[in-house]
Amino acid sequence: MSTPITILADILKYTIAAATPLLFASIGGLFSQLAGMLNIALEGLMGLGAFFGMAAAGASGSLVVGAMAGVAAAVVGSWLMGIITIKFKANLFITGLAVNLLAVGVTAVLSQSWFHTKAVVAFDIPRVMLAFPAFLGRIPFIGPVLFSQNILSASAWLWVIAAAFIIRNTRHGVRIRATGMNEEAVNALGYRPDRYHMAALIWSGVGSGLGGFALGVSISAFVPNITAGRGWIALVAMYLGRGKPLWIAASCLLFALAESLSNYVQGFSAIPPLLVLALPYAVTLVSLVAAAAGKKD
Amino acid sequence: MHSERELPAGARIALAVALSIALAAAVLALFTKDFSPALGQFFFEPFANRYFFGNYIADSVPLMIAGLGVLIAFRSRNFNLGGEGQIYAGAIAAGMLALSLPERIPPAQAWLFAALAGMVAGGLIGALSGILKALWHVSEMISSFLISAIVLNVGDYLITGPFQDPASNFQTTRQISSQLLLPRILAPSKLDISVFIGLALIAVLAIMSKHTRPGFELRVCGENEEFARYCGIPVALYQSAAMAISGALYGLAGALIVMGPQARVMRGFSSGLGWSAISVALLAQSSEAGILPSALFIAYLKAGSDHVMIGSGVPSEIISILQAAAMFFITARHFPVRKRRRP
Repeated sequence: MSTPITILADILKYTIAAATPLLFASIGGLFSQLAGMLNIALEGLMGLGAFFGMAAAGASGSLVVGAMAGVAAAVVGSWLMGIITIKFKANLFITGLAVNLLAVGVTAVLSQSWFHTKAVVAFDIPRVMLAFPAFLGRIPFIGPVLFSQNILSASAWLWVIAAAFIIRNTRHGVRIRATGMNEEAVNALGYRPDRYHMAALIWSGVGSGLGGFALGVSISAFVPNITAGRGWIALVAMYLGRGKPLWIAASCLLFALAESLSNYVQGFSAIPPLLVLALPYAVTLVSLVAAAAGKKD
Repeated sequence: MHSERELPAGARIALAVALSIALAAAVLALFTKDFSPALGQFFFEPFANRYFFGNYIADSVPLMIAGLGVLIAFRSRNFNLGGEGQIYAGAIAAGMLALSLPERIPPAQAWLFAALAGMVAGGLIGALSGILKALWHVSEMISSFLISAIVLNVGDYLITGPFQDPASNFQTTRQISSQLLLPRILAPSKLDISVFIGLALIAVLAIMSKHTRPGFELRVCGENEEFARYCGIPVALYQSAAMAISGALYGLAGALIVMGPQARVMRGFSSGLGWSAISVALLAQSSEAGILPSALFIAYLKAGSDHVMIGSGVPSEIISILQAAAMFFITARHFPVRKRRRP
């Protein structure tokens, strides 16, 4: 019995769920952008977060442990990227590409070694911890859209608010931004720009790790290429937001809506599913171009 | 006491090669039960016989051609991250064309048309990112990746939809008539005459970049954009053209695989090749001649990874780890060295 209202509710519900990994990763990426260390490895770091997060959550039966492991893995990845870029004066984009490749290799080899397959690994993850109180879910329309989400979706919005606060109102955030704007000035004030470059990369690792883990939780599994370009879409969301967390969040919602629509349309339409799968990338590309073209005028 | 010194390019490359080989051995030691056969499979099997050796060289050919493509984009300060889609588009364009050609056509014509179709398909896709950058400063790195992601989905659709071979259980197009395929050399391996195309392209582009005006002007554009503009070099044109040529070379690489070893377009057959080409170009350190040893090296790692997957069950994705390591080492410019030895 799907009425237009329930269909709309379904699409919006999935939009919020699909925005979760994007919010985590793109806001993480924002730190790196502000510090002038644009992290193009969000994709790979999300993959690390998904694999190690799910493996730990599956082994411990705890979402918290999973989230911590996912974050730890992605932070190690971004730290490695930082060491090689900062200490060894390497090209940031190339180390970013390298981390993306590294993540593919490490997750495949460890998946084979630990779970004896490099295909789908399903995990039995506690659902109880994810639920909101049941009575909230019974509110018409709003209930199914907002309160049938898992706790990670709510955390993603807390993460946006927390990041906005850190960036605007803390000394740490101000120094990260200052490092991105004028490295020499920061140096002259007696702070080491390198430290804030590294801190910003680590923050992007934290966000990507959580985003990857959220992605794994949403399907209770790890599959190869689980991120499927979401790290890059998150990067575009970050661009479009022009440094403002709320605008980044709005971009994430837009791309998540595209993903949700493409999921919905795939089910029953004359358009071939494989073509529909291209929709989120197409929407992302068009937004990127539109924003760039609009900027010049 | 820290002192920093810059390693010369030669030493960096040697270090990158040595360290990725050492890492390969370490990964095998960690993830195989029987270490020594795995080591043999990885390092020696690619040379073990004519068949393995020919296949190894055959896999280096697309890396040479696509690697040149990455190099040209790099030279104009462009990052072309759309290689995966450009190879796929080139392969599909060549495959569709070859499947629609009459069987009686002289093979050389079929090769030429297929190669052109591949280059046009890849080139247009590359050019799109170049034009978006020239017009509105859209980051070519991100646009090329996104366009590639769209192309991959559309390509999957074409292969499994309208062009699916109804007689096959695999997701693939029909087979291209064997008369139209590139002639094999070193049978029974899959090596064919495309290796000469790869070598010729390396030579031609090496000469063009050093001894012709466009080659020189492209260099200037990459090295100092403002100076290039001051000299009246059409910078935007060169940058778009470099992205187009880069895409065309990727497309050609895809077309030649289809007209050679594959003889059809299978879903996802080129997955990972676009990223490997980037490793090749980085190892080549902006030198066309350097593409040859780099492509042979990365193909060697890939051949080794494939052999240990079959022989010892280690996923062939270890190639990604090794390439990542090679990239890290090759891009590291300064090595913090302790002056005093540690006690």
